[in-house]
Amino acid sequence: MGATPADMPIPVDWYLYLSAALFIVGAAGMLIRRNLFILLFSLELMLNAVNINLVGFSRFHEDLVGQNFVIFVMAIAAAEAAVGLAIATALFRNRRTLMVDLFDRMRG
Amino acid sequence: MTEKVLFVIFAVLAVAGGIAAVTRRNVVHGLLFLVFTFLNVAAIFFLTQAYFLAVVQIVVYAGAIMVLFVFVIMLLNLRTFEQEEQTHRRQRWLALALSVLVLAEFVIVLAGVTFTSARGGFTPEAIAEAGGGTKVFGEALFNNMLLPFEVASVVLLAAMVGAIILVKREKTAGGATRSWEPGEEPTPEAVEEEV
Repeated sequence: MGATPADMPIPVDWYLYLSAALFIVGAAGMLIRRNLFILLFSLELMLNAVNINLVGFSRFHEDLVGQNFVIFVMAIAAAEAAVGLAIATALFRNRRTLMVDLFDRMRG
Repeated sequence: MTEKVLFVIFAVLAVAGGIAAVTRRNVVHGLLFLVFTFLNVAAIFFLTQAYFLAVVQIVVYAGAIMVLFVFVIMLLNLRTFEQEEQTHRRQRWLALALSVLVLAEFVIVLAGVTFTSARGGFTPEAIAEAGGGTKVFGEALFNNMLLPFEVASVVLLAAMVGAIILVKREKTAGGATRSWEPGEEPTPEAVEEEV
């Protein structure tokens, strides 16, 4: 158990456990699923797990830098969603599939 | 005490929604579970007294980004993928085992660590005295992080331009659309013609 400020009702550890669980769900989805859209969902889940960490520690340290940083994470998530969906649309238009293991044109 | 109970409820719902989101066969169902997870995360932000971020989480994440996903999913006809294999045949069990292992690692590390608060001074009482969470948040953002904020706007502009370029229909120099249909392999002659 971490030392918690007396006025913080929820221990900071709880945020970390929740964040770890959400992050692992996202990472597992990323590794296991084939559908490009589910991979984007997993990415959003992992970014949200990071946000929970930042907000929890911001409250714990009584400092607003963590909360400010969440805004930037959200901005990057929005940019990533826009570009990712554009790539998905372009791929679907050209290949008629969204299963990522079928995109092997470059033999990577 | 109430906060702890609410936190556990929202946390369990968030993780359950996340698991449901990445396991659904139907992409739209997965998306709705993801929105559910984001709303629960917003509730946790409320419990942490990060009110502005909670509202931004609902408006931007559950609202704007997820609606963007819905639009794209509805534009593409994805029903045909529900019959296909949903997981990587060779790596799924290994990936699942590794994920559980990493989660166990996280738990072990977190159980053994002790944090000490830096006492930055922004307690809920101090924030309320200084004029409310949103005002203090904005002042901190524009005093300490003005340059990153402006850089973020450039990143968003680049993403916007990039997204438009990526989905723009390809045209040849003469203005004709390309000479093969989407979905079929282009014949070498067609590719040469285009070049």
